[in-house]
Amino acid sequence: MFSSGEARCAPRYNGYSLTTSPRLELRRVSKTYPGNGQPLQVLHEISLEVPAGAVTALLGRSGCGKTTLLNLAGAMDFPSSGEVLIDGRATSSLNDADLTLLRRRRIGFVFQFFQLLPTLTVLENVELPLLLAAARGAREAALDRLRWVGLEEKAAVLPYQLSGGQMQRVAIARALVHSPDILIADEPTGNLDTASGDQVLALIRQAAARFGAAVLMATHSAEAAAIAALRVRLRDGRIESLERS
Amino acid sequence: MTSARLLGSLILRPLRRDRLRSGLTLLSVALGVAVVVAIDLAGEAATGSFRSSLRTLVGSTDLEITANGGMDETWIARLAALPFNARFAPVLETQAEIPGAGAFPLYGVDTLAGARPPAALPAGIDPDRALFVSQPLAARLSLHPSASLTLLLNDRPQTFQVAAVLPAEAEAEYLVLDVAAAQKALNAYGKLDRIDVYVSPREDFARVEQAIRGLLPPGYLIERPGARSQENQRMLRAFRWNLRVLSYISLVVGAFLIYNTIAVSVVRRRAEIGILRALGATRAGVFWLFLGEALMFGLLGSLAGVALGRFLASSIVGLIASTVNSLYASSRPAPISLGPAEILAGVVAGALVAFLSAFAPALEAMRVPPTEAMSRGAHEHHARLHWRRGLLWAALLAALALAASRARPVAGNPLGGYTAALLAIGAAALAAPALVLLVNRLTRAAARRLFGPEGLLAGRSLAASLSRTSVVAAALATAVAMMASVGIMVGSFRETVLVWLDTQLRADLYLRPAGRTTAGQFPALSAELQPVVAAVPGVEAVDVFHGLEFLYQGDRVALGGGILEIVRRYGRLRFLPGEDRDAILRSLPGQDRCIVSEPFANRHGVRPGARLALPLGGRVVPVTVAGVYYEYSSSQGYIVLDRSTLLKYLPRQPPTNLAVYLRPGADRRSVRREIERRVAGYRVVVAPNQALRQNAMAIFDRTFAITWALEGVAIIVAMLGAANSLLALVLDRRRELALLRYLGASAPQVRRMVLLEAGFVGLLGNTLGLALGAVLSLLLIFVVNKQSFGWTIQFHPPVGLLSAALLLVWGATVLAGLYPARVAARLNPSEVIHEE
Repeated sequence: MFSSGEARCAPRYNGYSLTTSPRLELRRVSKTYPGNGQPLQVLHEISLEVPAGAVTALLGRSGCGKTTLLNLAGAMDFPSSGEVLIDGRATSSLNDADLTLLRRRRIGFVFQFFQLLPTLTVLENVELPLLLAAARGAREAALDRLRWVGLEEKAAVLPYQLSGGQMQRVAIARALVHSPDILIADEPTGNLDTASGDQVLALIRQAAARFGAAVLMATHSAEAAAIAALRVRLRDGRIESLERS
Repeated sequence: MTSARLLGSLILRPLRRDRLRSGLTLLSVALGVAVVVAIDLAGEAATGSFRSSLRTLVGSTDLEITANGGMDETWIARLAALPFNARFAPVLETQAEIPGAGAFPLYGVDTLAGARPPAALPAGIDPDRALFVSQPLAARLSLHPSASLTLLLNDRPQTFQVAAVLPAEAEAEYLVLDVAAAQKALNAYGKLDRIDVYVSPREDFARVEQAIRGLLPPGYLIERPGARSQENQRMLRAFRWNLRVLSYISLVVGAFLIYNTIAVSVVRRRAEIGILRALGATRAGVFWLFLGEALMFGLLGSLAGVALGRFLASSIVGLIASTVNSLYASSRPAPISLGPAEILAGVVAGALVAFLSAFAPALEAMRVPPTEAMSRGAHEHHARLHWRRGLLWAALLAALALAASRARPVAGNPLGGYTAALLAIGAAALAAPALVLLVNRLTRAAARRLFGPEGLLAGRSLAASLSRTSVVAAALATAVAMMASVGIMVGSFRETVLVWLDTQLRADLYLRPAGRTTAGQFPALSAELQPVVAAVPGVEAVDVFHGLEFLYQGDRVALGGGILEIVRRYGRLRFLPGEDRDAILRSLPGQDRCIVSEPFANRHGVRPGARLALPLGGRVVPVTVAGVYYEYSSSQGYIVLDRSTLLKYLPRQPPTNLAVYLRPGADRRSVRREIERRVAGYRVVVAPNQALRQNAMAIFDRTFAITWALEGVAIIVAMLGAANSLLALVLDRRRELALLRYLGASAPQVRRMVLLEAGFVGLLGNTLGLALGAVLSLLLIFVVNKQSFGWTIQFHPPVGLLSAALLLVWGATVLAGLYPARVAARLNPSEVIHEE
């Protein structure tokens, strides 16, 4: 098990305080891509608050804008209009170095296709975010997360030697190794069988409930949607419905 | 039609999108082909001009009669008395220096017998001073009839008057005197260099030739016209072969890059290949699709290369010509001629290299099963499994290289040496994957410690892209190996020549006629100079040396005669191991014995005790070889007799050099000044031995300038390849690089990682290249050079120069990674991850 203070980076940076409740908010966010002669609007004035310590699920058909919304929420992209606020500060006001720091310290990502680096061992994959941030105690923290996802004994193996479920658990360990305040998950069970999917969902729920992360998860799966405290249904780039459990 | 459309959509369209990489590959091929074409064209122009310009003057002869040391003119009358309808024309041939303009061929011909030059001289011109000038030379020097012109002939300046300007083809620059005037000017009364024979077409040519042979003494040589040009071409064969082989280096390095480009193309399109096969494309169709891509690079690159090569040839022809003049024979560069044959040869070379280098990846593409669109990971996994097999093949090729290096030359060409070099390059390329893994494993911990996560990721990623990394490392290694091997060879050769010059040039001062010296030319010194110099206070001994061009068994060599007792007492001539210098030199004076240079001994298979039949004047003299000495001034070789022996058979042979030994304590400067004062009436150079050494080393360095230039091009091609391959690595790993940004890597971290990869590839290339270079240098020194030129080079690697060059190459490789690093750092992570 890991404690909330472990392997966490400096407590303050760029005005963000880790002691305040983490909060992700989207205000009238639109996103337009330059299309073939005609711009393509993917999101239309989305406003959403993602609460800390809970899972928020994004639901909707393929192409409805879920992944685009995740990229904006994870500060990997900027809205065409509106604002993505993390602790009240707009991501579009940050430069590249600040965004890098933000990702290093506050945000974790989980992808549908695991996205583990095939050349690194499981342990190296998990410790990588801390290594990139030059944080101390990377190895211990990574082992701790691996223990948490039940894969400590696989630390020295390469990803291709794992099952899909194991790979996704490693990916979750990696996403949480730096104790992020925000966890972005894009179809985390989309490529898994039911048993593995259940294990992964349990871990995601723990990340929110026990460690206070604000989890924003895109999914097609009813089982995944069931663990969410807030279910946001998107249709053609607009919020169709909001449902709290 | 279908194939063409497939080629267009599957191959050309992506290439158009990837313009930079396509451009780099094309440029690599173009440079490789350009160097080959340039060396061929320039070599041809620099050495293809031996055809005597005399031919343009007097027409084509049927036979040429020559003799070592010249012949007596009375033979003309005796030959003319033969009962055949044939004409015998006397010829004297030398080089005349025109101060400020250079050296030009001067012919002494019978102006009365031929229609050109005109028999009747303009009024008021002394027949002994009447000079005929070819039109191009007259135009260059603004000479007109009756103008005065001073020529330096041997060691005497002499003034002539232009009698007429002779029409001649462009660039044929020469001077003509009547033969009697030439004999007088050259102090060669009654002497001829050659008799040209013109046989009437109505005569039975074989019978005429037989009759002439029957009449002439055995030492005289009868050659068909063109034999001399052929001798020169033969003499230059090794030189041109070596240049040509060096010029292929860039093409070999380019071959690795085409291989890499096509391999990348195959890896990237595995999924598409799988789909195509599933939709009914044949294996052969897929195979030709990728070969088509390579051939397109080959053909387009070659066409650009031919054009570039033509341009480069103009800038290097002078350099090659100057080497030919210094080391082989006097020649003037002919115009560069780029004909259809040369264009075709260049294009075929480029296309062939492209075809061969793309064969393996195209074969791999053909074998992709239709249902399987394999991932790069699986492909690389196979590459990792195959490194042991590569190592075994490398060992086999290395063993074959060793066997080939022991083969004897074929028709004077070190084919075994070249084959061994190619096999060694192949062995290194096959061993590259194992080396990449080994170095990667050895440096993994250190890289992580020193460079943090960037070091860890760079090392892993290179090992993971093993097939790609090893090709770029092998390409770089080949270029580095060539640079290192030629560097070691030239450095060793230079050091050997320096040591040799130290033993060879022991006299304090040397005298020779002023004017430019070229190989095969031995301008005469006036015979009266020797006693004049010997009488100067402070002079202890004067060695008189007679040099002359000499034909031995159809080969043009140099014959020398010197006072070998002086050489024994003052010199340090070095003989092959086991030979007693003192005893050898003591045994020569007054005897029909000689010493020969190492190249001569190797070329003719001669050992001490062998008997040589030397045609000297009219006689063929049996001479015993007393010893073999080290010599590096001529790959054709030297035969040296004692002066007394030479003059016994060639009594009118003039001296060509004096070597002056001073008394102990004598002041070299004042003695030199005194000699210069006493020989002031002659145009001679009195040079201290340091000046000769410096001059020799300047010629040496000029000779190898082109070698360095070729090396430079190979390195540039390898750099382009490194940039190309690193870019391919970056583009192929877009997903991983984007993911790193998601995980918190900053743009500078990604940039650093790619630069570290570049540095690692450079390190691998340098390490493998240095090892391969050491092997190649041994082949160059002990096989190729020995078999081509016959001399022994001592192994002296230029450590400082090599270290600096390797550091430079390594730095350049890192620089080549700058652009790919920039591309990597500027990737849009969300776009890339979304695409994937």
